[in-house]
Amino acid sequence: MKTKIIEVNNLTKEYKELKAVDGLSFDVYEKEILGLLGPNGSGKSTTINCILSLLKYSEGNIKIFGKEMRPDAYDIKRDIGVIFQEVAVFDELTVYDNIDYFCGLYIRNKKQRREHIEDAIKLVGIEDYKKFYPKQLSGGLLRRLNIACGIAHKPKLIFLDEPTVAVDPQSRNNILEGIKKLCESGATIVYTTHYMEEVEQICDRIVIIDKGKIIAEGTSDSLKELASIEEKISVEIDKIDDETLTKIKDLLTVSDAEYQNGVLTVSYKSGNDNIAEMIDFLRSNNLKYNKIYSERPTLNDVFLELTGKELRD
Amino acid sequence: MFFHNFKYSLLLLLKNKSLVFWTLAFPIIMAMLFNMAFSDLESEDKFDVIDIAVVNSTDFDNNTIFKKSLESLSEGDDKLFNISYVGADRARTMLEDREITAYLVFHSDDVKVTVNSNGIEESIVCYVVEEIKSDCAVIMDVGTQYITSEIAKGNYDIDYEQYFTNTANDLLNHSVNIKDDSSSKLSYSMIEYYSLIAMTCLYSGLLSMTLINYRLANISSVGKRSTISPVRKGGMILGSLAASFVVQLFGLLILYLFMLFFIKVDFGTNLPFIIALSVMGVLAGLTFGVACAVLLKLNENAKLTALIAATMVGSFLSGMMGITMKNIVDKNVPVLNWINPVAMITDGLYSLYYYETPDRFYFDVISLAIFSAVMILISIRGLRRQKHDSI
Repeated sequence: MKTKIIEVNNLTKEYKELKAVDGLSFDVYEKEILGLLGPNGSGKSTTINCILSLLKYSEGNIKIFGKEMRPDAYDIKRDIGVIFQEVAVFDELTVYDNIDYFCGLYIRNKKQRREHIEDAIKLVGIEDYKKFYPKQLSGGLLRRLNIACGIAHKPKLIFLDEPTVAVDPQSRNNILEGIKKLCESGATIVYTTHYMEEVEQICDRIVIIDKGKIIAEGTSDSLKELASIEEKISVEIDKIDDETLTKIKDLLTVSDAEYQNGVLTVSYKSGNDNIAEMIDFLRSNNLKYNKIYSERPTLNDVFLELTGKELRD
Repeated sequence: MFFHNFKYSLLLLLKNKSLVFWTLAFPIIMAMLFNMAFSDLESEDKFDVIDIAVVNSTDFDNNTIFKKSLESLSEGDDKLFNISYVGADRARTMLEDREITAYLVFHSDDVKVTVNSNGIEESIVCYVVEEIKSDCAVIMDVGTQYITSEIAKGNYDIDYEQYFTNTANDLLNHSVNIKDDSSSKLSYSMIEYYSLIAMTCLYSGLLSMTLINYRLANISSVGKRSTISPVRKGGMILGSLAASFVVQLFGLLILYLFMLFFIKVDFGTNLPFIIALSVMGVLAGLTFGVACAVLLKLNENAKLTALIAATMVGSFLSGMMGITMKNIVDKNVPVLNWINPVAMITDGLYSLYYYETPDRFYFDVISLAIFSAVMILISIRGLRRQKHDSI
């Protein structure tokens, strides 16, 4: 049986009339990457801040490494690393000094610290920028520095709160690869984001949050089973009339069809090879198309089905 | 951990250009401006040595008291007169040629002052001569009474010359004392320099507040990162305070060196006391900055504004812009100045001039130490187990 690293029970956080977090309960297990997925304002960051004892909460209890988390729980804090959504570095210090400062809050031995800093710099790929000041770095490099500052002391538990916001694709891939490596080296990771592709790519388990409540929890595949569709076919087509659209909707396995911005999207209740049937239909109705492709349901479809809105709304 | 925090706090302060300006450069600029503004004002108040002549005569030679008085006024670094002893014709010529401001002619016990025009220097000569004449009259009067009483007692063996000389010396020494007292009064520019020192001490709160804001989760993102680290808040505060203290002391050192060697401010024998008080003032300013950073539930800019405003109000109430205000507060709401660190500094500085014993000065130094200790304690208490409603 896997060891519980974090236990959150009935966590509730209220801001006057608003319940930002509403009776949240979940566990995080050793050496897993748990994704907290939800749209902006769903309560992900508030949950993290409550777990870290930065915020007061109205109800609930939180245990980390089996001990109650409090502001003065220094023995717990020693093994935690946090990468916040906003970049948390000093503009006055160089890249190296920033990492050294934050790492030094955990590790006193200078030799050991130097080794850890070099490892962190290598992991996020900023070896060429050690003497740069944060203002001289691009957005992506700044995010990488932010991560290096949070993980240089090699924590056992790492919180990453939307670390890839406003990051270029190259840096995003670098960050996601780095997170996987951290997990492989034994760290437990809590990863919050509103990018479903990222959680699908790196998370072992996913907790979907909306309006401060957990609406679904499980692996990526188990969550997708919650969606009522099995396959989604998209057709790039210049024009389609309402009569044809109705005909498509009347097909036996089709659950829904819509035409928007030159793309016909057809959702199927069952089967995973409906593309041949769709091509036959288009030929028989003399409809010329530019591109046709098939997709499995995404977490966004799950979210849409559970909440009636898109993840990025 | 203390040295790690200390080292990086020092780096953060020294690389913050705006703070470096306000801490190191601004006081020097202010001192320079004060010097430019007030040195002329004060030089206008100073009088040059006045050239006069005394017409040689037997009457003058016999007037021992007057002779000694004039001699004492024409000696030393702070002499009032340059005296030429000449004949009557030469004295007239010198006056006409404006080589002298006035000349004195003695007739029996009387002295006549001749001037060529009306002016401050002419008035001073006349005033001084009248003063000496008045002193002579007193000496003669006291002497006559003394001699009469000694003769009445049957003592006829009196050294008249020695007696009058001693009495004259007493009177002259008395005059010297008066002169010393007047030179020790606080000049207007000294009050401004002291205000500048006190202000520099108290604005050290900006340094400590900046560093403490870096440690607060509800103020900055680096504050969040520091808060979740396993470092105790007390240790962090001490490291930050020590760094701020060093930077501000360095700022004060530069200010003192500048005032002493470039604009040549004369602090006299009080300098060690002034330095000791300003070191305590820096400590009070730093701890006040920490307390404001921890206890005020405001954003970073609002906190800085509040700190500056509190310091300005404290300065006003303590009499930095006119000592009358300090007296009004002392008389009507004394408690305000008991808890006002600016008042403790200014009171300490002024006490060096208005009290003969250093008791009041030490009282102010101890008050500043107690104020600093209280600020630190409430700051650490405020930071312990701190959680926020929102961040």
